[in-house]
Amino acid sequence: MTEATQQFFATLPARAPEVLRTPVAGTLRIDLSEGHRTEHWLVRMRPGAVEVDQGVEPGDATWYCGADLFERLVTGRAQAISAVLRNESTFRGDVVLFLAFRLFFPSAPGTRDPREVAREHARWTR
Amino acid sequence: MKELVSILDGNTFLVSDRRGDVEPSLDFPTGLFAFDTRFLSTWLLLIDGERLHALSIDDAESHRTRYFLVPGEPTHFLDAKVSVIRSRAISGDLSEELTVLNHSGQEMSFTVRMEMASDFADIFEIKDTQRKKGHNTAAPGENSLRLTYRRDAFHRETTITSSAAAQVDRRGMTFPIMIGPHGEWTTRLTVNVVIYGARGQDVRSLLPFAGSRTTAAIEAEHAEFVARAPKLGCDCEPMAGAYRRSLTDLAALRYESIALGVRLMAAGLPWFMTLFGRDSIFTSLQVLPFVPELIPPTLTMLAGLQGHRVDDFRDEEPGKILHELRYGESAGFEEQPHSPYYGAADSTALFVILLDEYERWTGDVELVKRLEFSVRAALTWIDTYGDLLGTGYVWYQTRNPKIGLENQCWKDSWDAICYSDGRLPSFPRATCELQGYAYDAKLRGARLARLCWNDPVYADRLEREAAELKERFNRDFWLPDKEYYALALDSDGSPVDALTSNIGHLLWSGIVDDSRAQRVAEHLLGPRLFSGWGVRTLADDQGRYNPIGYHVGTVWPFDNSIIAWGLWKYGLREEAGRICESMFAASRYFFGRLPEAFAGYERDLTDYPVEYPTACSPQAWSAGTPLLLLRVMLGLEPQGEHLIIDPYVPAGMGRVELLDIPGRWGRVDALGRSRDEGPRRPD
Repeated sequence: MTEATQQFFATLPARAPEVLRTPVAGTLRIDLSEGHRTEHWLVRMRPGAVEVDQGVEPGDATWYCGADLFERLVTGRAQAISAVLRNESTFRGDVVLFLAFRLFFPSAPGTRDPREVAREHARWTR
Repeated sequence: MKELVSILDGNTFLVSDRRGDVEPSLDFPTGLFAFDTRFLSTWLLLIDGERLHALSIDDAESHRTRYFLVPGEPTHFLDAKVSVIRSRAISGDLSEELTVLNHSGQEMSFTVRMEMASDFADIFEIKDTQRKKGHNTAAPGENSLRLTYRRDAFHRETTITSSAAAQVDRRGMTFPIMIGPHGEWTTRLTVNVVIYGARGQDVRSLLPFAGSRTTAAIEAEHAEFVARAPKLGCDCEPMAGAYRRSLTDLAALRYESIALGVRLMAAGLPWFMTLFGRDSIFTSLQVLPFVPELIPPTLTMLAGLQGHRVDDFRDEEPGKILHELRYGESAGFEEQPHSPYYGAADSTALFVILLDEYERWTGDVELVKRLEFSVRAALTWIDTYGDLLGTGYVWYQTRNPKIGLENQCWKDSWDAICYSDGRLPSFPRATCELQGYAYDAKLRGARLARLCWNDPVYADRLEREAAELKERFNRDFWLPDKEYYALALDSDGSPVDALTSNIGHLLWSGIVDDSRAQRVAEHLLGPRLFSGWGVRTLADDQGRYNPIGYHVGTVWPFDNSIIAWGLWKYGLREEAGRICESMFAASRYFFGRLPEAFAGYERDLTDYPVEYPTACSPQAWSAGTPLLLLRVMLGLEPQGEHLIIDPYVPAGMGRVELLDIPGRWGRVDALGRSRDEGPRRPD
């Protein structure tokens, strides 16, 4: 696994109180494949808290994703729902867990605050 | 345009010509569609090499049709020795029973041919399907033809099977048949569509409703939907017809989301058979007094897909409620931004408004608690990312100039937001109704904070902000010389001074100063805006006015229903009644099914409302319109644990009786009667 992915999982518990505010509960298993190797990550979610583990026990939902795509997701260079729509990554089980998990993915690198951009051009601001 | 016939079940639909045939069309989505992909683009019947001619069509049901046909062009003496019945139904998949009848006394032989093909076009590329990046294959099998499309891992498939023996080739099936005297021949063609997902399984097979149900199950479900809704008894036949038709169409437009496995409402056939934030919220607001069970899945889905990051391609920001979710190839490969797209500046405030309205009717505090964080995030969006310029208003400007929406309000066509003289304003723009929705959302958010989240400090803050917004708005948007509210502010903060129907939405939101409500109503029902069939989107003396301009002159039933609600809120019952009357009168000309929009011509000029050329029909928020108008006429308003009933039925409409209105009170009945007739004397 890449460093970005490792680091992403390592920071989830600390980020959970801010990110996971909705009443979500369950375990999402993420199968990250690279060639013939697959790593199984278990993300146990509840409001304000996440535990990350590795293992093959079945979750409430399973998300199959290439290691390369996952790295693009955790660095903001890809978007999760479109990846599922084009079947590059697939998913089964409780979709609420997938929708909650995607909240951890960041904006693309170099994205600017739209307000800052708009205020550069408009003449009327307070 | 040739008349087209549509059948649908949820977001699977088939559009064919009056013979039941489908030919590749570049200007209109004909064919079989599911989840934004066309699965059949050719479906054409030939008998002995000849096309058929339609005698009649039975399309009383939304999910099935029957075509009665004869070969060749009709002549003066129609003396057909043979006729054909195509009987088809949609229930997740498509099935067609094809029967050929020999009316002669001799045995006859025929060659029946069905041409079959699929271009697997995305709904966004039907005008240009030549450039598809994947590849198609056609594989003939035993009495079956399998058509597939693959692009990387994206995989769609159509399989057609025949119950009768067929000679199958890559372009269709041929049936050389012999039929005895006065005999008949039949085959059942079944068209299965597959959307491949995890582990090569059909995505829809993983859904609780499993995508395909029998037609009997669909009919039972529709009947149950209608049976659960309140019963309408009335003297006004158009009203009764519109109510019946609306319930039927709303039942048919429900589909099962791939993403959440819940039943949602598609917005409109054929272009909008998917989830829209704005459409689903307005439809929910309209139908809430009748079928409240439709609302929780919609709110839950919108909350689940709430924006969480800044994404310029999708116009996404944290807390924003989506505009449009699509499931097709163009969304998947990011050729279109609909995964989902967030280019709407109104859906976020409307989300809060709907949740509050829903709680008022149902008392479902649990849902309000579950969605607390989402609602807070939505309210925060209004004051942060929504207020692009930091001026205390909600603004919009797309960050995806290539394919994003220029106008991110309900009038989202490119020329909808204009000055009175027709010029187009600079970006960003702040349209007036966005400010009204923001005001209402803050007040309703405050009520929820106090009632359900035990946060009076937050409630106080929201109420204070709402009051300040109202004051500011009435100062900056009011045009003293014209005596109405500007359509928008441009990026200089100058008013965009066109006279539009948007001022009616302001009444609905409550942001209009009481002293100005009467003047606003006079404009709405004055000759410049009111056509006689309804309120035009743009007044007929404005620079860009066009009676068949999508948002610059047409009359939208949904718009009118919100305006009627707004007039009622300010106690302008007679004015609200005039809109109700005009809409029900118009609905007669569409067999009770109000289209997306109709032309803005004067009522005296045309005698009947002229349908907008490419209007979507059925369309959810048009189907919801008669329901909301009934609420307005009967004056139905929840108050605490009770339902206030304060009817004002327009003259000439007679008795209106709505039985078993569901809500926190259980079920109650409402009765209204036109004032002209007075109360009936007791026998």
